[in-house]
Amino acid sequence: MKTVKLGAGMAFWGDSVRPAIDMVERADIDYLCCDHLAELTMSILSKQQQKDPAFGYTRDVLDLLRGALPTCLDKGIKVVTNAGGANPRACAERVIGLAKELGLSPVRVAVVTGDDIRDDIDRLMDLGVPFTNMDTGEDLASVRDRLTHASVYTGCEGIVEALEAGADVVVCGRVTDIALYLGPLIHHFGWAPDDWPRLGMAAAVAHAVECGGQATGGLYAGGWQDVPGLETLGYPIAEVSDDGTAVITKTPGSGGRVDVGTVSEQMIYEILDPGNYLTADVTADFTGLTLEEIGPDRVRIAGATGRPRPDTLKVNMGYRAGFVGEAVFSYTWPDAYAKAQRGLAFLRERLRRAQFSCEAEIVEYIGHNSMWGSRVPEPDDPELMEIVMRYAARCSTAAEARKVFTECVPLYNNGPAGVAGVGTRPPLKELFALWPCLIPRDHVRQSVQLLEA
Amino acid sequence: MTQPIRVADLAHGRSGDKGDTCNVGLVAYDEAGYQRLCRELTAERVRAHYGDLVLGTVTRYEMPGIRALNFVLTRALDGGGTMSLRSDHLGKVMYAWLLRMELNGPERSGA
Repeated sequence: MKTVKLGAGMAFWGDSVRPAIDMVERADIDYLCCDHLAELTMSILSKQQQKDPAFGYTRDVLDLLRGALPTCLDKGIKVVTNAGGANPRACAERVIGLAKELGLSPVRVAVVTGDDIRDDIDRLMDLGVPFTNMDTGEDLASVRDRLTHASVYTGCEGIVEALEAGADVVVCGRVTDIALYLGPLIHHFGWAPDDWPRLGMAAAVAHAVECGGQATGGLYAGGWQDVPGLETLGYPIAEVSDDGTAVITKTPGSGGRVDVGTVSEQMIYEILDPGNYLTADVTADFTGLTLEEIGPDRVRIAGATGRPRPDTLKVNMGYRAGFVGEAVFSYTWPDAYAKAQRGLAFLRERLRRAQFSCEAEIVEYIGHNSMWGSRVPEPDDPELMEIVMRYAARCSTAAEARKVFTECVPLYNNGPAGVAGVGTRPPLKELFALWPCLIPRDHVRQSVQLLEA
Repeated sequence: MTQPIRVADLAHGRSGDKGDTCNVGLVAYDEAGYQRLCRELTAERVRAHYGDLVLGTVTRYEMPGIRALNFVLTRALDGGGTMSLRSDHLGKVMYAWLLRMELNGPERSGA
């Protein structure tokens, strides 16, 4: 049976671009699908765009395409990416610029928009969309003036349209990770957009590969010691059949491993109810999922299905939520833990005298309890060689957060003995909170524009 | 000498974030282990094991075809990846705490 081969090129903004370049050179894939966006990414990109209207996309896509685009054009591999982030149009224009610089022609770059509703919120609220916080039930009014962005997790329709129009590279904003894969499949196989069982199966396949190296032995808790070549980990490839099932494999000659263990671990990553895996394009059901090794680095995935897509789409809104001030100090034997506790008390008293106020704070002892907090008993080893005290606080203003730094500095000279590892002034971290809410899908329409080099 | 059997002896796992919700997935190494985890790892026991790391609820889901259990922990990431002050703000190592959980006998033989 004829299959179509989808490669996972990127798993997050800042991911290495080498696996994607190796993949297009060594594997005969049809599509390279690249996910650059995490929950927080849109806040950061919107902030960059506000500073400079030419930005607001993930610039790593240009490094990726500089290495991969010539080969993709040679071999007829189409690239589908959500690197457009908050500014897909600017991203596509930069891709066109890159193609010209590399002397590549013709190159057709499609821009898929329609996810960005930040300028439409008032109109949509007038139409009766409340944008109530799904988790807390709060009214949007409480954060309305602090919103950084509002992007709808959109589906694959725009990608399908762009591919039908002959695009070589499809640049999207906040489409779902799953849409990056369903779009090429619907285009290639001509599946009906309401063929729910097939789309549900294909969503499971997309989930298996969308996090790149996490399916091929990266982060593998089932035996990381035995995964060969982590340094040159190959990213996954799905060879998808017309029924939506697939064989998961990886770039030939690359490091890592594809077996039932590595793929299973990815299947349970970041899912909620496996019987109701919500996407913009289908409600997938992973309950009956099966995996079977059919050869070296080849796992057959089947058994998932789907039901009609939800009537509402999820909106990723972000708002400014204050600043974090942080201090990190290392203390040596003898009495390392007692010294660290005295250092913490010193910092707290200094902060009190500075009329410090915060919304939340945390104390961690790195190397001891920074991962599981209060679940870990206090250290009782008198020979403890060292311990690292980390204090962090969430404050409503930058000035307040900065006090954590200014008040911890005297620990250099005036605090308990045996302190080391103090760095330079850390940059204050601005916080963005998510405002999860829904929008009826009728209010969202994608559109596609084609640019040419 | 014997030592108690832990979830880590029967399964591997992975965890991650969706806002302030953390999901902890376990994949059993074999069918007997999966059946035992299904019997012993109730949502209530898992909730108690995480203590004050989880302020919300724990719900369990089963994926028998890949011998997996998925635990969904709400209000588990100190406000979520974008807000959390924790070093592990994305819940990437929350699974390891579940792997440490001790199961009821029989015990396994130790070295």
